[in-house]
Amino acid sequence: MKKFQLRIFSFGLIVLLIITTTGLVAGAWFLKDWEDKVTKKFEGRKWDFASKIYSDSYHVYVGLSLRRDDLVEKLRRLGYYETSGSPKTQGAYQINVAAGTIDIFLHDFEFPTENVKGYPVRISLQGNIVSGIENLADKTEKFDLELEPEVVTGLYQRIWQERRVVKLAEVPPLLIKTIIAVEDERFFSHAGVDPIGIMRAMLVNLRHLSLQQGGSTLTQQLMKNFLLSDERTLSRKFPEAVMALIAERKYSKEVILENYLNEIYLGQRGSQGISGVWEAAQFYFSKPLSELTVGQTALLAGLIRAPNRLSPYRNAEAATKRRNVVLAKLLDDKIITEKQYDAALKEQLPQRALVKVTNEAPFYVDYLRRELDQNYPKDVLEKEGLRIFTGLDLRIQKIAEKALTEGLAKLEASHPALKKKSAEEGLEGAIVVVRPQTGEIKAMVGGRNYQKSQFNRIFQAKRQAGSVFKPFVYLAAFMHGGQSGTQYFPDTVVNDSQFTWNYDRGQSWQPNNYNNDYYGAVTVSRALESSLNSATARVAQDVGIRRVREVARRLGIESSLPAVPSLSLGSAEVTPLEVAVAFSTLANGGVRARSVAVKHVMDQNTKVLEKRDVKLEQVISPSLAYTMNQLLKGVMARGTGAPARRWGFTRPAAGKTGTTNDYKDAWFVGYTPDLLAVVWVGYDGPAKIGLSGGEAALPIWTEFMKAATANMPVTDFVSPSVPGSEKSEDAPAEKCGSATREGEPPGAPCPPAPAKPAEPV
Amino acid sequence: MLIPKQRLSKFAGYAMAIVVTWSCAPQRPYRAPLPRSSTPAPSARVTPPPALPPAAPPVETAPKPLPQESKIREQDIRTAPTPAPASKDVKEPAKQASISEPRGSSEAAPTPTTPPLADDSSLLAKITPGVSPQRAASLRLTEEGRKLLDAGDPAKAITRLERTIVIDSTNGYGYFYLAKAQYRMGHYQQSLNLLEVAQSRLGGEPFWMSEIYALRGENFRALGQTQKAETSYHQALRLNSGNRTASDALARASGDSPAASK
Repeated sequence: MKKFQLRIFSFGLIVLLIITTTGLVAGAWFLKDWEDKVTKKFEGRKWDFASKIYSDSYHVYVGLSLRRDDLVEKLRRLGYYETSGSPKTQGAYQINVAAGTIDIFLHDFEFPTENVKGYPVRISLQGNIVSGIENLADKTEKFDLELEPEVVTGLYQRIWQERRVVKLAEVPPLLIKTIIAVEDERFFSHAGVDPIGIMRAMLVNLRHLSLQQGGSTLTQQLMKNFLLSDERTLSRKFPEAVMALIAERKYSKEVILENYLNEIYLGQRGSQGISGVWEAAQFYFSKPLSELTVGQTALLAGLIRAPNRLSPYRNAEAATKRRNVVLAKLLDDKIITEKQYDAALKEQLPQRALVKVTNEAPFYVDYLRRELDQNYPKDVLEKEGLRIFTGLDLRIQKIAEKALTEGLAKLEASHPALKKKSAEEGLEGAIVVVRPQTGEIKAMVGGRNYQKSQFNRIFQAKRQAGSVFKPFVYLAAFMHGGQSGTQYFPDTVVNDSQFTWNYDRGQSWQPNNYNNDYYGAVTVSRALESSLNSATARVAQDVGIRRVREVARRLGIESSLPAVPSLSLGSAEVTPLEVAVAFSTLANGGVRARSVAVKHVMDQNTKVLEKRDVKLEQVISPSLAYTMNQLLKGVMARGTGAPARRWGFTRPAAGKTGTTNDYKDAWFVGYTPDLLAVVWVGYDGPAKIGLSGGEAALPIWTEFMKAATANMPVTDFVSPSVPGSEKSEDAPAEKCGSATREGEPPGAPCPPAPAKPAEPV
Repeated sequence: MLIPKQRLSKFAGYAMAIVVTWSCAPQRPYRAPLPRSSTPAPSARVTPPPALPPAAPPVETAPKPLPQESKIREQDIRTAPTPAPASKDVKEPAKQASISEPRGSSEAAPTPTTPPLADDSSLLAKITPGVSPQRAASLRLTEEGRKLLDAGDPAKAITRLERTIVIDSTNGYGYFYLAKAQYRMGHYQQSLNLLEVAQSRLGGEPFWMSEIYALRGENFRALGQTQKAETSYHQALRLNSGNRTASDALARASGDSPAASK
């Protein structure tokens, strides 16, 4: 019996030994693993920094047309807030309606070429014109200023944390003392875990019968944020505590504190998390850490407990209450004097309309991303905190998006057949907006609904150009003349009748007019205005298709252009972006500007990594460009673009409709000297929309241009002979003075628009 | 009898200058054509620049339809072949003269054919009551850009100057200083492109045309195209004998020649 008991005892002992050994080995393994993790985090890369994409900055200058409401909206989007008194701190502005002024205390901003320190400024408006700008700090007159660009979105992996890392020495001692006082007052005396703090927390939790306090030290909080999940469970507490002990054994209190101050989460702006005290000071107070007041310091430190619930932007009462608790604690601990306490209690909470950063230009960002991917690896873009400055104008972007979605919906409403087809295929559209002078892409909507389809039709879809190509034919004719010896002018009479174009060893091609209507002898200007196929093809035949192709290339078409007769009527497939570049060249007096989306790329240390200057080249003469602009103005006045005038777009503008074979693609490209937009409407598949460019794309273009140019000065195309004389503030709604029609004197009233524009196939 | 080589090249230079003047001169504005008469349209509509005597026929004299396309040729569109790099001192753009940087007169400059033009470089002086607000703003910004250039900050100047053409794309001075900034940055081909745009905007202003030719000469020189550079300098001096950038460059070139031949 005794022997049996001994055996049992021995067996139990062995089991116990095995369990203990296994436990010890496992414990040692865990300990080693946790130590490795802590070391790796402290000594390796601690944070990823999202890259930020910015819109274009907003240039305000004396003489600019600017509505007060537009300026206020811009300020609101930039996070400025209105005050009743004169703005004393960055981000505040005051409107004085009677005096016609807006006083703004500008934010600091690091532009790619200069670091601008915020200063108070007064913008005076006379009507809708900026009549003066004054620096209120030194009372000097200014002629322009730049409002910082807006953040469009971030490029990041998983989550977007906005943070700027600071050294411990850069953090004001008061902020450090306050955070320690409210979060871990025995920070400098414990070894990573605070038993007294835990006891106190347990008592509080027992009293409330729920998990109210964790009793975590700063080191534990840091370990949790660095290495563990956000779950508030006891099973997480153990590794957190062990890791805190490891960290305290390996690293100094200063190192831990510095990491904590940079790591801590302090708020949320849309998808953008605000982390670290530097970023929080900017987010809540628009100021550097060194300029925080006692009240602001207390507010910031108080936020750590529950950044969103206690946010002054979400709940001013809760934020005030928490701040006052922190101030009382500071007074009790004799960190601040009674006088400081009283003053801090009176401080106003920061105000700001909480503008969420939501990507409002997803197609534009995708386009940028493709450009950036060529030079920057994915990891660099998503982790290195690059700042990418672009030409995007968010106001124009929104207008473009609205015009497209509403325009397509209207089309479907007015054409039931289209709606039926759309249910199967989905009617699509795209719009791209370019500033001709610089080639900057100001807006891009690559499709109807980004959530449904990310296919960007602006640069990924190659579609037949249709009649949009015709101006290249006539440009070639003006430049080179015909092989028959004919010299072409806008009033040259050409034959618009059926014919067969024989080419290349027995091949033939016969262009047809819209509805098979032929007009016989017509001028070049009439042929272009009414987009007559037969007349255009005849001119192309005389000039030579290779010359037409060469002109298209010169203007900016890069896609393959087969030298076949049908090229003259736009049989080649091109992207809307190419069309935009080519017509921008005309709008810009023959100067081709390279299209630009990314303007500058800066790294985290504000070093400019890349700068894409405006790149210009005079590719056709100003006089030739002017001639074509006059002809295309005729399209707007009398031709296929004339409905835009009836729909209320009255500025001097040039444009061209485009409709392709079997009505699969509808185009409209139109421009003022300052803004160009290309609209494409069609299906991604082979389905036909059955509408011309004038019917499907022109209404969208018109709505867009009416809204986008509403606040721009009226300009007209410059005659090369009178540089600088083109600006006309009161340009007539419709001028037919260019007399591109035979027998009509300059300045003759415009004839009525054709009932049904002759639109080519 | 043999003509000395130097004289021959000088003669050729003058001839080239005249030809280039003719071909690069501002074109007449396009006129909306009237109903055609029996008389054919004149074949060439290129106006020689002011202060130049009638010169040799332009490069392209063949009859052409209106509007003429004499200036833009295929070779202008393609990238110019990269010449052999110029010597180090030639490539130092920061030391080049600008219209705001007066330089000492040069002894070896060729005899000017016209008296020096009055200095027209002040852009602020061009802001007169009749000037549109856009033009005024654009000119002020151009002036700022010029100052930044003079202060040796072409990158910042470019940012400012790009704004000038957004506000007023007809402001040729903006294009000129953009060209100058690109020259300072060492982007010579881009500078030449911008000068072409500037020329199309400032065709009627001899002082500025002279500046354009001088800067074009500097770019050609930096690209190692000495013949073209010399032609441009001569052109600049024909328009304004007081153009010091051009005269100094020519003086330097003539001073360098013997050394080069050695």
